[in-house]
Amino acid sequence: MRAGKTLSLRDDSGVVSYVPGDLTLTVRAGTPLSEIERVTGEHDQWLPLDPYGSSDGTIGATLATASAGPLASSFGLPRDLLLGLEFVNGRGDVVRGGGKVVKNVAGFDLSRLLTGSWGTLGVITEVTLRLYALPATDRTFVIALSGSEKEISSLVRAVVSSPLTPFALQLLNPPAARALGLGGEPVCLIRFGGNDAVVRAQVSALSQVARSQEVESAVWTRLRQLDGKAHTTIRVVSMPQRFLAASARILGDDVPGIYTCIDPRRGILRIIVGADDRATEEDSPGMLGSADFARDGSESSEVIFEKLPSEAWPSVSPSVVRDALSQGIKRAYDPHNILNPGILGD
Amino acid sequence: MTQATPAPIQARSSPAQSAVAGHLADIVGERHVLSRPSELLVYNSDGLPGYRRQPRLAVFPGTREETISVVRLLAAEGLPFVPRGAGTGLSGGALADDIVVIGLHRLKKIISLDVENRRATVEPGVVNLRLNKHVAQYGLLYAPDPSSEAACTIGGNVAENAGGPHCLKYGVTLNHVLAMTVLLPSGEVVELGSRVGERDGYDLRGAFIGSEGCFGLALDITVKLTPKPQAVRTLLADFTSVDKAAHATSAIIASGIVPAALEFMDGPTIRVVEDSIYAAGYPRDAEAILLIELDGLDAGVSADLEEVRRICLDGGARNVKVARDDAERMKLWQGRKKAFGAMGRLAPHLIVQDAVIPRTRLPEILETIRTISEKYGVVVCNVFHAGDGNLHPNIAYSADDPAESERVHKAMTAIMRACIDAGGSITGEHGVGLDKMGYMEAIFSGSSLNAMCELRSVFDPERRSNPGKVVPVHACKEWHAVPGARLRTAATSEADSPEPRPLEAEPSHPSAT
Repeated sequence: MRAGKTLSLRDDSGVVSYVPGDLTLTVRAGTPLSEIERVTGEHDQWLPLDPYGSSDGTIGATLATASAGPLASSFGLPRDLLLGLEFVNGRGDVVRGGGKVVKNVAGFDLSRLLTGSWGTLGVITEVTLRLYALPATDRTFVIALSGSEKEISSLVRAVVSSPLTPFALQLLNPPAARALGLGGEPVCLIRFGGNDAVVRAQVSALSQVARSQEVESAVWTRLRQLDGKAHTTIRVVSMPQRFLAASARILGDDVPGIYTCIDPRRGILRIIVGADDRATEEDSPGMLGSADFARDGSESSEVIFEKLPSEAWPSVSPSVVRDALSQGIKRAYDPHNILNPGILGD
Repeated sequence: MTQATPAPIQARSSPAQSAVAGHLADIVGERHVLSRPSELLVYNSDGLPGYRRQPRLAVFPGTREETISVVRLLAAEGLPFVPRGAGTGLSGGALADDIVVIGLHRLKKIISLDVENRRATVEPGVVNLRLNKHVAQYGLLYAPDPSSEAACTIGGNVAENAGGPHCLKYGVTLNHVLAMTVLLPSGEVVELGSRVGERDGYDLRGAFIGSEGCFGLALDITVKLTPKPQAVRTLLADFTSVDKAAHATSAIIASGIVPAALEFMDGPTIRVVEDSIYAAGYPRDAEAILLIELDGLDAGVSADLEEVRRICLDGGARNVKVARDDAERMKLWQGRKKAFGAMGRLAPHLIVQDAVIPRTRLPEILETIRTISEKYGVVVCNVFHAGDGNLHPNIAYSADDPAESERVHKAMTAIMRACIDAGGSITGEHGVGLDKMGYMEAIFSGSSLNAMCELRSVFDPERRSNPGKVVPVHACKEWHAVPGARLRTAATSEADSPEPRPLEAEPSHPSAT
């Protein structure tokens, strides 16, 4: 079944309450991330949530899809930043879960339940989020990963296993690096934030491990938009160490138009296919080492299609809500099956 | 078959009950089933002494398989039960009112430890501190650190979504649990979440954490471990007024620095701790102290430490002392972590509150609490997670004195009302249990409570797991219509038991039945 109508929440937007001293923000769900960035930025605060795509996206959509980006490895997933929400279930009841304070265990956790439910259990209308102070210093560096697989591997391990505590760390294959103007080799992109002293100390520690070059922090915005024109985006989730072990091989893939990005601390590999005209259906990810990794049927990896041509969706995307508990929750919250039917392969 | 046990003559025992006890003994062995009222006394309260409920039976499975068999037997008999860990909870949540207690403390294996990927899988009865001691040798820690860490279990922590002082920076149990194998009340076993860390679909893991035993019980839990910080520094700032300390707290939070912990203790608490065996060397004449911990990379911590020290001194701190070494740090922390225990010196009973308020409202609410305590003539000891705005106003009293009990309850109700009016929550980490159930309708609408009931019904359609807790029965629309025929066979159903009123206190000595 497919949805017959789209309910746009774009206009249900704006700040409901914001007391900077509390570091919490309540907004209507249609508020764009860019607006949250602007409002909180005025008080030197931010919502450290940088999902792939554009900042024009709304906070409601970000939570409904549980979308996260490079900052998630240090600030947590959307579910970790969400304090409470209001939604309308499939019977039209207005329901609230959680609250507006930073710590709360009152009642069963409807906020987590709705996060990542893709609008199938309710229409999220308002959310309360945890904010952080903007770091006094925020610097980004790029490390070229040249040499043999072994050399790359040991360099990556040295950076990832060091006591550094970067805000974000991504490994990119050559096409992705080229698309971001970072040269033609695989690279490690690393972002340090905090007070001046802690950033200075980390930059100095990094220089002991690898040669790096500072780049504009706008590179992160471009990275988030890499899959803007993508045909297909696949996310592979696995144990961090498996990615570390395989990173050199995965980063060796150099097929134009196929970008691979690894977040080795979070255990995430993203494969972006067809963002470039030169990539065709024949360059399907199945041909690549990275996708072999994705498909190796080991118990610990999971393949998630973030973006697929709509015609491919039903045949490729497995149902993730077929278990009895998920089905029961869906029936309870949306008895008439009117909320985004079919989107989760249900 | 254990009918052969020389079963004691029991006033209340019925043939059906001894048959169930016998079947349970077949599964776990006779010595792991308790049915004598005198033996069951130990299980009639949790860490909050105001509530007593006498269980009918207690059963202690020793393995995962035994646990499954026990729950399946109870499911077949239609009997309600309460899962219980170490019984350190502070909401009356693990009490069983004339029904079966399933104690999970014997399930205490650390099943696996993956140092490289920083994950551990443990059985529910593993004690929080034991896991931490076990992983410390690898430079790792399990971040949630409830004050009861030396006794409380990971299974209980999951049920309550437990917090602790260091949750300010590191987050609560929810943020550190990746996956669980859950035994539903029907006896079915399901996997929730992903050991890898992230998966698509509904976050059933998130729904289960903090479900207070109402959704079933966890057979194993996979947690995320955190590398030990390079540097840890602990400060003690002392103030001559509560108000100054409260303002300093708000100022630290507003500065954007995220301390690992930011704890507040007021004068009465300081003095009761200093009088006890947990004396930490706090200044007795202070009206408030802040215990502040900063951690992370050395350079960053030193810079933040100077900033925090400056904020405290600017805010009127009389003195700011930095612990010189680990021994001194541990001593400062011990006083804080054992404060509830120390209050046992004051009176036989203690009411512990757990409200959360927006952090900018702290000075105002603490002043309100002072006014309320004067009005009702009670002594409030404030010891709490100030950085999170998570208050623990405690009142030591004797439940045997009806007049005093009445004043204490009125004061606590007034305090809770003030916190709710400030936009807060009724519980930050202790859970609703029995204790806060009467306040649920003050913060959630009927449709929100009903949505919670519906969620519970998916996990536990017969409402047999920890019945009568968290959401008041009358808030659940469909529960009136479908009373659940099988529940009628239970020893006592939640529908039959009177709902406790908020902050109900009961006689300190359970009746001899």
